[in-house]
Amino acid sequence: MPNQTEETRGTTKTISIRDLNKFYGSFHALKDFSIDVEAGEFLVLLGPSGCGKSTALRMIAGLESISSGTLQIGEQDATNVLPKYRDIAMVFQSYALYPHKTVAENIGFPLKVAKTPKAEMDAAVRAAAEQVELGELLDRLPGQLSGGQRQRVALARAIIRRPSVFLMDEPLSNLDAKLRGNMRAELKRMQSELGITTIYVTHDQIEAMTLAHRVAIMKDGELQQLATPKEVYSQPANLFVAGFMGSPPMNFLEGGVVNGEFGTEESRFALPGAPDTAHAVVGFRPEDCTLVAPGAGLVDARVYTVEMTGDLVLVTLELGGAHLVVKMDKDFEIDTDVTAGIAVQPDNLFLFDGNSGDRVDWTGPRS
Amino acid sequence: MSTPARPHRSIFEPPAIGQMSLATKIVLYSVLIGWSLFVLFPVYWLLITSFKEATAVNEGPFFIPWVDFQPSLHAWKELFVIDYADTLRAYFNSIIISLAATALSVLVGSMAAYALSRVEYAPNLITILFFVALLALVAVSVGVWGIDWRLAAAVGVALFFFLARAVGNLYQVRLQNGDILFWIISQRILAPIVVVVPIYMMFQSVRMLDTHLAIILTYTVVNMPIVVWLMYDFFNSIPRDLEESAQLDGATMIGIFREIVLPLSRAGLAATTLLVMILSWNEYLLALFLSTSRAQTMPILVAAMNAGERGILWWTMSVAIIVMIIPVVVLAVILQKYISKGLLVGAVKG
Amino acid sequence: MSRNSALNEWLDKNMGRIFLAPAVTLILIFSIFPLIASLILAFARVRFTGGGFKVRFAGWRNFDKQLFGSEQFHLLGTFTEISVPGWLFGLLATGGLVWWMVRYVRSRFTWFGFIGRLITFAMALGLSWMFAATLLSGNPFGTVGTTLFYVIVGCGIQFVIGTALAFACSQTIRGSTYFRVIFFVPMMITPIGVGYIFRMMADTTKGPFANVWQWVGLGEFAWAADPWAARVFIIVADSWQWIPFVFIMMLAAFESVPRDLGEAAEIDGASRWQSFWEITWPHVLPIAATVMLIRAIEAFKIVDLPNIMTSGGPGIATESVSLQAYYAWRALDLGQASAIAYILLFITVVICVSFFNLVVLARVRNQR
Repeated sequence: MPNQTEETRGTTKTISIRDLNKFYGSFHALKDFSIDVEAGEFLVLLGPSGCGKSTALRMIAGLESISSGTLQIGEQDATNVLPKYRDIAMVFQSYALYPHKTVAENIGFPLKVAKTPKAEMDAAVRAAAEQVELGELLDRLPGQLSGGQRQRVALARAIIRRPSVFLMDEPLSNLDAKLRGNMRAELKRMQSELGITTIYVTHDQIEAMTLAHRVAIMKDGELQQLATPKEVYSQPANLFVAGFMGSPPMNFLEGGVVNGEFGTEESRFALPGAPDTAHAVVGFRPEDCTLVAPGAGLVDARVYTVEMTGDLVLVTLELGGAHLVVKMDKDFEIDTDVTAGIAVQPDNLFLFDGNSGDRVDWTGPRS
Repeated sequence: MSTPARPHRSIFEPPAIGQMSLATKIVLYSVLIGWSLFVLFPVYWLLITSFKEATAVNEGPFFIPWVDFQPSLHAWKELFVIDYADTLRAYFNSIIISLAATALSVLVGSMAAYALSRVEYAPNLITILFFVALLALVAVSVGVWGIDWRLAAAVGVALFFFLARAVGNLYQVRLQNGDILFWIISQRILAPIVVVVPIYMMFQSVRMLDTHLAIILTYTVVNMPIVVWLMYDFFNSIPRDLEESAQLDGATMIGIFREIVLPLSRAGLAATTLLVMILSWNEYLLALFLSTSRAQTMPILVAAMNAGERGILWWTMSVAIIVMIIPVVVLAVILQKYISKGLLVGAVKG
Repeated sequence: MSRNSALNEWLDKNMGRIFLAPAVTLILIFSIFPLIASLILAFARVRFTGGGFKVRFAGWRNFDKQLFGSEQFHLLGTFTEISVPGWLFGLLATGGLVWWMVRYVRSRFTWFGFIGRLITFAMALGLSWMFAATLLSGNPFGTVGTTLFYVIVGCGIQFVIGTALAFACSQTIRGSTYFRVIFFVPMMITPIGVGYIFRMMADTTKGPFANVWQWVGLGEFAWAADPWAARVFIIVADSWQWIPFVFIMMLAAFESVPRDLGEAAEIDGASRWQSFWEITWPHVLPIAATVMLIRAIEAFKIVDLPNIMTSGGPGIATESVSLQAYYAWRALDLGQASAIAYILLFITVVICVSFFNLVVLARVRNQR
């Protein structure tokens, strides 16, 4: 190994990805993927399964070959570098703990293959284990640990090397909901303490929103939007992003715009300043609208179901075959099959081009 | 192996799902016990025959020692005291040969199986056919035309290296891992009789007939397809995450194989080892061709007991068969907890 | 350090080849090369001269002698006239095979599949007529017939008994662990030993069942002198030895059937019998096919039991093809030995590949 890497080991690095492509035979799994990750940044790759996010991560790790494009880690071109020389650590969805090795051996494995002296290794293992609060479990086998503890072992194994880059492939998805919340918080604190560049793959938008400095949303091998969580939420680049972010997702009405007025088959309302198109989509978030008396809101719809979640009430309404969800206060009550109006502040309306799906920067009522 | 524990049930409760009727039970147990007798009786007969004098064997069936006949150790003495040199030599030959052949074929076979399950190969069929054609040409020129084999081999190698690339670039038919796997496994279809004559002549020409090494190498090749077959499925069942993680942590492929893959495959390796060991230990035809005296193995020794002037010496033969069972039992006991589990993995997807 | 790491680097990059190379090399030397050499020998006459040997090209003469010439009775059987049942069977088999081919050509057609099936067709046709002309016409058959008898009847018996025992042992019964250990015992005994043990067992004058033989009036009956008795006797010994193998494999298969499937079936009201045929059997069938393929491949090689138990006798009644080749080799007739071995190889490959393609793979194809 060149000495240069020894010196720079552990210092956080930038990652610059240019036009990365991946083909499996004729299947185009990743299309012209380009991202610059800043040093110390927490970047989340978000998307549904099969969108290419894991492929992208595995290409950065070196576990998949790069069909075309370049990858730079720090100052070094890493496109064709073997995984072990990329100075990265990865946490797998399955944790990839070696079932026949104890916790201590698992954590120490990266140092063992680097032929670190025994005493130094033991100290490092102890320190890493302390950091993830695993101190007493060092002699156990992975099979004797709970899901959360296994997760911690995997993390400890990743941090013990002081890598320049962390890669995480859905590390929390095998945990139950409560534990996932805790680990998410810990993960975030640990990353900011260590300050190591992290790329994190998930399909869970809550994880993406809470953890990321920036989120990269992907679909069908293509990058849809790269922005801060706040931006992704408030200024989604297109229909896909708007529909993917938020829980429950954004409501959509399909129709057309004529003379500043948006019309569907069932209803029409004013959308001053919007450009005329035959095919447009209007979106609004469930949390941005309320139910009012019929005729008083933007549109009228029939109540389909009412769900009580504890802290709020989700009302689903039906309008021309589409379902619209409205988040209401927890004391709200309404019967099914009655008609109600949905009121939305014009500020909270998003307009999308019906053909391309891109968001139309509709500045009309806001300015 | 373990039967699930059934909760205690009082007699008043109705029989649960899966409970058997009495008639079924009787039939089941009589079948199992009947078969056990069929299996065990010949072994029992073998055992008592080894303690019989010639008269006790020849004068009609005697079943129970001390009652029907007086057991004696004369056959054991004959084999291990009087004839001990021959017996012990064959015994140690067998042990050395089957241990070495088993170790070698399990090692080489599982390396190949691992590589086939993890690395993508794309050999060119045309180059391979070219190679085989050259091999045939060399064989013909040595065997039929009487050209010196060193010369023929050298010319063959040279031709291959100069021409193979050119031919291979012109025509390409890519094989895949599955093809290589099938090719290796299909070697098991070869009856030993098909290849043993040339192998015999090969070892004769390098003066290696009747040596341990010759038999070890032959056994290794004969049993390797089984190893590749069983271990390929086993390796495929190990999650790749583990190896990828180790790879990122800087481990080499040998390191991963040794530190992670082999320890995780203990079950499969144990079962494969036992199977290959039994096959090598019992092999008869190849040993018959390749050994005459110095490297003679136990099966040959036992088979040769037929040829005595006094007819078949049933008592010494029984002793020899019994002592041949012992190492297999020892190995089976050591490896038994893995047997059922390991064989399954290999077989299920085969 | 750097030298070491350069070496490691090189090793890592070429590890794929390094891992596969020993296996391929060994197979090339000890399997492929002998295979080619054997083919050359099969077309040659070998003469031993002093220290070495001389090989002279002999064309098809070796095969001609085995298949049509003076050794035909030995390999294939004695052909005189075909009896009425022989004709009946032969024509029936021919009709069936032709129908099978026509059906294939009509349903889907690829050249590859067609040629493969044509070879299977020719082999099956030849073997059917061989049986029609020998066994069914009262003529003795040769080593090919004997070997097929060992393979088909022997494997059939082993499969039925082994599977039945495995199914019995897979039930939740007391003592099943002991039964498993006991049933495994014959596999630990060397085949040579099994041969001798069964010679003792079948001895009508001093074997354990001598009194029984006397009582039924077979006291003077010499097993080894009657062709069919000798063949059955070898099959019994072979089955005793190999049923454990089928048993172990099928036991593993039965135990791999998910418990909840059977339980769900029982809750749905299926009887034990229905649940076996509808749930368990389809689940273990692919494994059963594989196990039988393995067993058949090994059974084609049978040589030790006939050699030990009967030396191929009486006459050639129990001689397998392998044994015939061995005897030819012992008579220093290497050309004949190789030709016989190649005929065996051809039959084995065609039957095993056909079985694999038409039974094992057909199942996989249908599932897709």
